[in-house]
Amino acid sequence: MKKVIALGLIAATAIALTGCTDSDASSPSDSTDGDLRQVRVAALPITETAALWGGIKAGIFAKRGLNVEVLPAQGGAQAIPALLNGDIDFAIGQPFGPFRADLQDLGVVVIGNYASSYAEGDDINAVVASAKSGITRPAELAGRRVAVNSLGAAGDVTIMAAVEKDGGDPSTIKFVEVAFPDAPAQLEAGNIDAAWVPEPFVTQLRSRGDTFIVAPYQAVVPGLTTLTTITTKERTESDAKLVDDFAAAMKETLQWAQDPANEAAVRQAIKDNLQLPEPVADSVKLPEFGWDLDRTSLQTLAELAQKYKVLDKQPNLDRLIQQK
Amino acid sequence: MAVPSTRRLRGLRKALLGLVGLAGFLVVWQLVPTLGLINPQYLPYVTDVFARLAEESVDLAFWRRLGATMKSWAIGLTVATVAAVVLGTIVGLVSFLRRATHTVVEFLRPIPSVALIPLAVLMFGIQMEAALVIIIYASFWQVFVQVIYGVADVDAVARDTARSFGLTRREQLTRLVLPTALPYLMTGVRLAAAVALILAITAEMVIGNPGLGTLIELSRSAGDSVGLYAFVVVTGLLGLAVNLVFRFVERRTLFWHQSIRGEQAR
Repeated sequence: MKKVIALGLIAATAIALTGCTDSDASSPSDSTDGDLRQVRVAALPITETAALWGGIKAGIFAKRGLNVEVLPAQGGAQAIPALLNGDIDFAIGQPFGPFRADLQDLGVVVIGNYASSYAEGDDINAVVASAKSGITRPAELAGRRVAVNSLGAAGDVTIMAAVEKDGGDPSTIKFVEVAFPDAPAQLEAGNIDAAWVPEPFVTQLRSRGDTFIVAPYQAVVPGLTTLTTITTKERTESDAKLVDDFAAAMKETLQWAQDPANEAAVRQAIKDNLQLPEPVADSVKLPEFGWDLDRTSLQTLAELAQKYKVLDKQPNLDRLIQQK
Repeated sequence: MAVPSTRRLRGLRKALLGLVGLAGFLVVWQLVPTLGLINPQYLPYVTDVFARLAEESVDLAFWRRLGATMKSWAIGLTVATVAAVVLGTIVGLVSFLRRATHTVVEFLRPIPSVALIPLAVLMFGIQMEAALVIIIYASFWQVFVQVIYGVADVDAVARDTARSFGLTRREQLTRLVLPTALPYLMTGVRLAAAVALILAITAEMVIGNPGLGTLIELSRSAGDSVGLYAFVVVTGLLGLAVNLVFRFVERRTLFWHQSIRGEQAR
């Protein structure tokens, strides 16, 4: 009896295995070239990372002898320790990570930009208020509960500045930390009055009747950088060739991603790497990709952060920004 | 003849009750979004979740992630158990050590190991080793504390008997102390197995080393609630399987112990 069951199990497994697909199999850069240099880059698992995934698939890094492995870091809290101990070579993250690292004198440098918001037109993120909150303009956010994905970063800083600009009192806003994907549910439940969200959530919320209030980046620092490329100072000195090669490949990748002719490839990279529904991957608004850092906008951001007591002093931008 | 048949009946009834409970749970789950108690966008229908699960189960990529999770679970649990048995036996046997470590253990034990993630990443980077640190940390205490109690629980009469029969230290350890501690150890390992699984998945969600946790996190950040709950169901099933396996092992190794014998006689 037991034998029959065992045989049956084996047969069932064999049949099941033949019906298997493998969604990992599409990765092209498998260890065919032994002389490629291994590079580990931490990046958030978000649609913006599509430029990097696409650039790798298009062979821009391999051309310069680099085999890039992208690790899905959840945020600066994991990426910066991993950078410091040499586990990863580069990280792509929002600018407050390096700001704080510089204030703690950790030897982190920003070697290039990655993505920016739009100086005009529809921006890539916005504050949206629920219909029942009755909020219609930035000044009315004062005294209300506003969600940002992480406290003490570009979101709450630019929202405070936008509210002040519109004549409201920014110190009375009650910021709460809510992950972007959870914001629509929290708005609907009435736990928050407004939320700062990127696409595709901006469109999703507006189409169900919630109110667009302001695009805080555009209102305060038009074209503000959203993601930068960082490494350690020690790496730029000890392995200048690697940093230069990587910087050159990144520059080309971001130009490639910015070219409308390659948009389909970038969107394909979203589908290959994220579990997004296809219509979303096809319609999500992409940021402006570019390698050149806008120092003035970073400086404005740091000054605003100090003004609203998110940072207690200014990072040393001369030391932090090392455009490659 | 009457004895095995009632036992079989009892087993059948137990299995039936389990199935009824499960069916009830699934029906309630299906009803909650159907009745509009929670928007189906956030809590998907059970039918959609299981359809997705069937889809994932024929994708090798899914099995590879599952394998990665189970690998870090197995390594973490083994290391934690071995370390806890060795250290717990030593500390439990030497009353001086037991008193000296008591405060430190009670201080370290409640620290949530998730709080150690930045430290683990600094030491090992974004990979399995960092996850292992927090898995081992959390599951170690479960076993360690049980072993200390178990080793200290040796019956005074039995110890005196062993002494008067002239058993050597080694014989006392293998024939008296370890059998006494075994039921405690088994309980500790069973608890640790569940804790290690929770931490293996949490680590993947927070650190980002590949596994089931990263799949959950990816679905969440994509707003894909069907996928999210499909993977959550998988973690639940894993927990169930782990518990069943350890109960089976417990029953086999402790067949002589009253806790098991009592259960069967009932």
